[in-house]
Amino acid sequence: MKKIDTTKLKNIVGGHNIKTDPADLYIYGSDSSVHHAMPWAIVRPETTLQVQKIMKYANDQIIPVVARGGGSGMCGQTVPIQGGIILDMKKMNRILEINLEDVYCRVEPGVVDDDLNLALKQYGVFYPPTPASSRIATIGGEIANNASGVRSVKYGATRDAVLGMKVVMANGDLVSLGAHTRVEASGYQLHKLLVGSEGTLGIVVEATLSFVPIPEFRCMGVANFDVLKDAGEAIGSIMASGATPSMLELMDSVAIKAVNKTMDLGLKEVAAVLIFEADGMVKEAVDYEINKMKKICEKHNGQDIHASYDPKERAKIFLGRKKLFPALSKYDDNLASTALADDMAVPYSKMAEMAGKIHEIAAKNNIIMTAYGHCGSGCMHTKILMDTKRKDQWDSAKKAITQVYDYVRSVGGTTSAEHGIGISKAESFKIEKSDSLNLSAGIKKAFDPNNILNPGKLAQAPEDWVTATNLRYSVNS
Amino acid sequence: MENKIKEFKHLEKWQGTLANCIRCGYCFEHCPMFHHTGWESDAPRAKIITAFGLLEGEIEPSEAAADKMFSCFYCKRCEAACSSGVPLTEIFTDAKKDLVEMGLKGPGTTSITELYCARCLLCVGACPHEARFYDGKGIATDPAKCQACGICIEVCPAGAAKIENHFGTAKDDLIERASTFLTTHESSKAIIFACNWSYYPELQASVLPESETREKAYEILVNMCGGRLEAHLLMAPFLHNAWGVMAAVCPDGECQHDGNLRAKKIVESLHNTFKSIDINPERVRLVQIPAGDKTLFQAEIDTFMDKLNKMGPIR
Ligand SMILES: Cc1cc2nc3c(=O)[nH]c(=O)nc-3n(C[C@H](O)[C@H](O)[C@H](O)COP(=O)(O)OP(=O)(O)OC[C@H]3O[C@@H](n4cnc5c(N)ncnc54)[C@H](O)[C@@H]3O)c2cc1C
Ligand code: SF4
Ligand code: SF4
Ligand code: SF4
Repeated sequence: MKKIDTTKLKNIVGGHNIKTDPADLYIYGSDSSVHHAMPWAIVRPETTLQVQKIMKYANDQIIPVVARGGGSGMCGQTVPIQGGIILDMKKMNRILEINLEDVYCRVEPGVVDDDLNLALKQYGVFYPPTPASSRIATIGGEIANNASGVRSVKYGATRDAVLGMKVVMANGDLVSLGAHTRVEASGYQLHKLLVGSEGTLGIVVEATLSFVPIPEFRCMGVANFDVLKDAGEAIGSIMASGATPSMLELMDSVAIKAVNKTMDLGLKEVAAVLIFEADGMVKEAVDYEINKMKKICEKHNGQDIHASYDPKERAKIFLGRKKLFPALSKYDDNLASTALADDMAVPYSKMAEMAGKIHEIAAKNNIIMTAYGHCGSGCMHTKILMDTKRKDQWDSAKKAITQVYDYVRSVGGTTSAEHGIGISKAESFKIEKSDSLNLSAGIKKAFDPNNILNPGKLAQAPEDWVTATNLRYSVNS
Repeated sequence: MENKIKEFKHLEKWQGTLANCIRCGYCFEHCPMFHHTGWESDAPRAKIITAFGLLEGEIEPSEAAADKMFSCFYCKRCEAACSSGVPLTEIFTDAKKDLVEMGLKGPGTTSITELYCARCLLCVGACPHEARFYDGKGIATDPAKCQACGICIEVCPAGAAKIENHFGTAKDDLIERASTFLTTHESSKAIIFACNWSYYPELQASVLPESETREKAYEILVNMCGGRLEAHLLMAPFLHNAWGVMAAVCPDGECQHDGNLRAKKIVESLHNTFKSIDINPERVRLVQIPAGDKTLFQAEIDTFMDKLNKMGPIR
């Protein structure tokens, strides 16, 4: 461990914005992933200038710096695998401007997604990429992960909503990327490159985001399926039909049981449900979309299809979906829901097969996996439910993960749809991107020659995620 | 690791539950401690991580680690938000029991007694959690039982009962924040004191542009349990020309600390004072809100503001 000059850091941010006690460091060593590693100091900047000064110091001393928003990343993105400074961005939390005329807002990176949407709501507009974790996820973390959510099928992911940003580079320089316009063709779109870079290229200190009007009408439907494959095929058909759902979510039997148990959602305990939604300013247009999706579900043996405009009914199901990951921990008292093999994307026509594969691989490896996700955007999630104390379950999980991602890549899918790579998904990521890893390494070097920005992540992550860091679970040997 | 676990004989039973916490962080959005300091290490998830670290021997049972476990207002907002069913405060209490046995007592948010305590025993009788007792020398608090409700502080005539780490809920802090709001906003009219149960915080962790808050008519200040309200606090905003003050507490029978009954009495007596000096007593209003009912809370605020607008300022 390198010696950190805390006096210098205190001079930059003030003593009240730095923590070095092991009790605090331990807490900041984990996020929502399975990993844990100790940082050396937590520093909380309040201004761009402070971020610049911290980066200059860290770059001179070659100290790793890991930006942290809400710490809700699922793959160990904020776990300081090589130690260093955690840059807690939550105090840079100002919504700077809501510009209705030019249809953008400017925010600091620590602004929480739900807070932004609350501020926008009074003007009848919303920021759509919103992940399920929107109550704690920050805009900085969403940008760095290219977060997306239930509405991304219609409105796009974070990358589609980011018009520009201010970024502090590894050496402390401040650059403005992108613009305040909807389109830009002025050379490399470096702001888009920062999206999904997981804190490895620069520290986002301000973002310019677009927003859209809140639709007058929203209608949500639920279709029940006795066969998982039928539900998967319905997703493919809906997307290929030209329908424009504003939400198209899959939940398999494991997911249904978990949310029913925790939130009394009253979903039918069938093999799978599809939750679909359409929105718009004209009710007839929304009806048209809903009917179209209903018919497709029926064609694929969907049953008891029920659609409703009632905001209370919609809100209940929406909240259930938002809390699905935590709810999975209640599926079985002896099993914990781990953020492993957490997300992926496959082409629409492979959705059905993918969902089936997940269950097949789980059964083969004696663990429980669930298939759900924002399937309308090609995104599939699973979680591994296992007895985390048993070492053999970790071995099984490892095998299952490799098999899942081998399949994903074999059908032209990608390792992460929205949760990012971090540490836990690096194995498949490196295989998937093997022919462009050199190119990416060159980009990383150009942005961060001393490799101080979130080192040991993405292509730099260790081969074996199980031994890459301490696990946050107690595992018997 | 095994031998470490044995030292935490109360916490030990939660080993499985600590694994079931998925560390999503959904619990920290409404925690008044996180809201006040903005440090993740003051949030409920942090305490769960600390409990795990202590149990597994990954962190030392140090004063700093103990202080985290002893800092909690037991408002249970975190538990309400957790879909993994983690009974956070029960885990904190068990961790506290073990830490006390190791000689670590916080204080965190535990109430303490200053030397100038008059030993009147009022606090002993008033504590709803049987945490205060006479230990043969003076008044002591059982840190594993104290839920930081603050009732003892309000009943103590000598001002000797204190919660040092109050996370912005001490009277002086609240008075200062009320006066800052009233003196910096021309549009200001009212202060709403809300107990953490009846208040449903909205914009939790972000700051709006100044242009959005310039016209604000009221400020909501969280005072933890309604039992901590007292006449001096409720009157303070009037010194800075507030038109009115509203206090929100739990409905009858729903307050964990029976603080709402105390609050009712205090507001009643203030009403009498107001009448005697010919000021409309409706300028001080007490409302009772079931935990987390933000719609009712907002409706009560709107009604109160309408009334104040009709009454105008106190001349
Ligand atoms: C229950 C649950 C549900 C989830 N649902 C979804 C979902 O539906 N969709 C989805 O996309 N994700 C989801 N996630 C994953 C996660 O919440 C998102 O990826 C989110 O965007 C992370 O935001 P954060 O603020 O917590 O970032 P953190 O976890 O703190 O950080 C994530 C990454 O961003 C980097 N970073 C943070 N701030 C900055 C900055 N200012 N500059 C540069 N880099 C920065 C960090 O270094 C790190 O690499 C979910 C997570 C949980 C726990
Ligand atoms: S206690 Fe519950 S809400 Fe909090 S991090 Fe753990 S699972 Fe999430
Ligand atoms: S009970 Fe309240 S104060 Fe205590 S950790 Fe939970 S939310 Fe925070
Ligand atoms: S009255 Fe409340 S704050 Fe005082 S000792 Fe009892 S529980 Fe603690």
